[in-house]
Amino acid sequence: MSGVRVEGLSKSYGPTKALEDVTLTFPDGGFFGLLGPSGSGKTTLLRAIAGFVQPDRGRIFIGDQPVEGTAVEDRNIGMVFQSYALFPNMTVAENIAFGLEVRRIPPADRARRVAEVLELVQLGPLGNRKPSELSGGQRQRVAMARAIVTRPKVLLLDEPLSALDRALRVEMQIELKRIQREVGITTIFVTHDQEEALTLSDQIGILKDGRLVRHGPPRAVYDDPQDAFTARFLGEANILTGMVEAAGLRLADGTLLPGITSAGVALRPEAITVSLDEPASPHRILAHLRQRIFSGAMGTCILDWQGQTLKLTAPDRALGDLPESGGPMVWLSWAAGAALPLRDPP
Amino acid sequence: MIRPMIRPMIRPMIRQSFARAYLGLILIFLYAPIAVMAVMSLNASEFYALPFRFSTEWYERLFTNDEILAAAWRSVWIALVVAVIATGLGTMATLALWRHDFPGKRILQALLFPPIAVPWLITGTAMLIFFFGLGIGRGTPAVIIGHVALALPYVIVTVFARMQSFDRTLEEAARSLGARPMTVARRVILPHAAPGIIAGGLFAFAVSFDQFVVSYFLAEPGDSTLPVLIYSAIRKGFTPEINAVSTLIILLSMAIMILAARYARFGGTR
Amino acid sequence: MTGRVAGGATGSERLRTLALLAPAYLWLTLAVFLPLSAMAFFSLLTDVPFGDREWAFTLENYTQALSNPTYAILLWKSLKLAFWVTVWCVILGFPCAYILARMIKGRSREALFLLVILPFWSNALVRIFSWAIVLRGNGVLDRAVNAVLPWEVKLNLMFSETAMVIGLVHSYLPYVILTTYLSLQAIDDTVIEAARSLGARFPRILWRLILPLAMPGLIAGAVLVFVPVVGSFMEPRLLGGRVGTTYGTLIEDQFVAVFNWPLGAALSFILLAVVLVILAAASPALRKAAP
Repeated sequence: MSGVRVEGLSKSYGPTKALEDVTLTFPDGGFFGLLGPSGSGKTTLLRAIAGFVQPDRGRIFIGDQPVEGTAVEDRNIGMVFQSYALFPNMTVAENIAFGLEVRRIPPADRARRVAEVLELVQLGPLGNRKPSELSGGQRQRVAMARAIVTRPKVLLLDEPLSALDRALRVEMQIELKRIQREVGITTIFVTHDQEEALTLSDQIGILKDGRLVRHGPPRAVYDDPQDAFTARFLGEANILTGMVEAAGLRLADGTLLPGITSAGVALRPEAITVSLDEPASPHRILAHLRQRIFSGAMGTCILDWQGQTLKLTAPDRALGDLPESGGPMVWLSWAAGAALPLRDPP
Repeated sequence: MIRPMIRPMIRPMIRQSFARAYLGLILIFLYAPIAVMAVMSLNASEFYALPFRFSTEWYERLFTNDEILAAAWRSVWIALVVAVIATGLGTMATLALWRHDFPGKRILQALLFPPIAVPWLITGTAMLIFFFGLGIGRGTPAVIIGHVALALPYVIVTVFARMQSFDRTLEEAARSLGARPMTVARRVILPHAAPGIIAGGLFAFAVSFDQFVVSYFLAEPGDSTLPVLIYSAIRKGFTPEINAVSTLIILLSMAIMILAARYARFGGTR
Repeated sequence: MTGRVAGGATGSERLRTLALLAPAYLWLTLAVFLPLSAMAFFSLLTDVPFGDREWAFTLENYTQALSNPTYAILLWKSLKLAFWVTVWCVILGFPCAYILARMIKGRSREALFLLVILPFWSNALVRIFSWAIVLRGNGVLDRAVNAVLPWEVKLNLMFSETAMVIGLVHSYLPYVILTTYLSLQAIDDTVIEAARSLGARFPRILWRLILPLAMPGLIAGAVLVFVPVVGSFMEPRLLGGRVGTTYGTLIEDQFVAVFNWPLGAALSFILLAVVLVILAAASPALRKAAP
């Protein structure tokens, strides 16, 4: 059981900077999600911790041991690959036992531990099958079992669920969380699916162009994105910008939002209320309702304001009689705290 | 801080050097005798005696040796005929095999193996017997028939591989625009297959030109192909002209295969 | 996207397919399948049924072939030769294929691969001939070795079993490299990474993962070397001289020297039976190797 720490990690491939001065602590026993668009460096970071990528600069600690000079084979990690990478010529049981064989665990103990972990991932009777005979979800579990049976210091997951279809993915997210809780290994996983990151992580880190942009508990990051990229990447956001005045933020249409000291704010679609009558609170703007979309329980409104497209979501009932298109001017309002201040507006 | 980072990289670097060295040795093994032969063909000494004195005498003598020239010409001519026939028949068969799934397709595909898998000694002697029975006997027609049969599998495999990268929707688009099957074949399918067909043709030429065993049994003793002629010359005690013509043949075969590889490969990756 | 049309084809389509397939397969029938059957027929005759020779059915060719100890010895010699050539090809070829498939990346890989395969596609006879030049007494090899070593060595490898093996390995090595390369190339990189992440070092990865996964290619290559070598006669004659009598040269003699074609046919057929047995035994592996 040990946490992981990286300091000042940098890696370039020719002119491209895959990682730029990344410093991050992954808490012991926690489930840490690395999130970012393609090319953000999240996979490079994961593979550097694993040992498949040699960083140009920086340090990596697993537990309190520096491991930059250690080969992959000696780092005692467990890794689950996007394609699962099960050994096609071995049975499920042999796949799982592989890591134990390497560690010279005697056959009797091997068999016992393999059986235990098969129970843990709920694949008990499938020990003698070959990977080609398993479904995607089953293969995923075998890959997990194989990685954790050796009791590694850290578990690394590279987009473990992206190969599964939607329904299965949701099911597996719950499974993954349960397994991790039971085993208690420090787990770092990479995903581009922000909903998945929010569901699974105790802490998340957001990367962009090789830099660490934001990190912290999911709710904290969601409620306080601090920059436009994070606001848009994690959840959705409407960005409003303007000039900072003594009294507050002056928007382009003249509206003054009192008490705001940043040049821009992010408004989550679900935090906005729409009405035809002018609301009393000063936190409101007037926009043109372009389209109203019905999606069952929830409804979405697309609006035009100052050349920008805004979006709000609300229970369909709350949208009342608003027309589906070519609608009137409506008032959008929100609670004072719902305007999330942004450090650097776009 | 730099040193610890180099350690995991040293072992693979040592492995890489050993690997390259091994590969180099294998390449030397494969090319050395050929190189020696080529060098000796330019050596003035008739008995491979050193020191090496440059001379093109054997090549000059080669071009006045009627027997060798006749055999060379016959080999080339046969190879051309074989290439044309084998490519034609093979391409037609491939188009049918590639397009449709029908009962017995697997068997037909398996039937392509015997010409390659069965030792040519057996095939050659069997052909000899059969052709004699049919009245064809030995001679150039028999050789051509035999060579085409040996070359067909290579053509089919090559063209088939090329057709694997064909986008069927192109054909469907053409048909939806009103094109008849012949037009579709001519203007949509064949252009895509072309690199594969060319490669297959080159393979067929090479297979026929280099063929020894089957030619040995089917050729008329007086009018043999070049490989058969070389064989008898060697068994009698070789003259250095054989050296020269052998070098030329090897260079020709390799040139053809490099060409074929360009068509077979680049046609596939495009 | 393969261009396969599933389900029932229309009548005219079926006709067209037939028309496309017929010429090639008719040719193969005429040139390969019928002759092989004819050979079976022939092996049961006393004499060639051409011209006005007397002929009758007999099993004598087979009894002669199977009872004559010389023939059995020669068949055994051919099998042994094929075995050793195959072994050497596999031992030398596997590392080469591995290096090409997994250790060299990028453009140089294709070029090197082509370089290795190229000799295989050139004239086999000429390649054997080139070995004759190198190996003969006072030949290049002798002189090169003598130049390096301080004492006089007469290698004279020519006209020996060693020469035959060297020549045959040289001829067929690229074939094994090719089939093994194809198998090795198909191994997913991440599978190897997974093994490394579990702590395995190279020897274990090689033994537990790479060899098993490359086995179909290796077996295919081995079979495609073994079979032709069993029937070889040209290489033994050129490089083996008096020592170079094999089952293949025996059959050759029947057709070009002794003119006992029925006996030759019988001996050929026995060889064919041996070849078919080997191919059948290896066919599961062969099928896995073919993409």
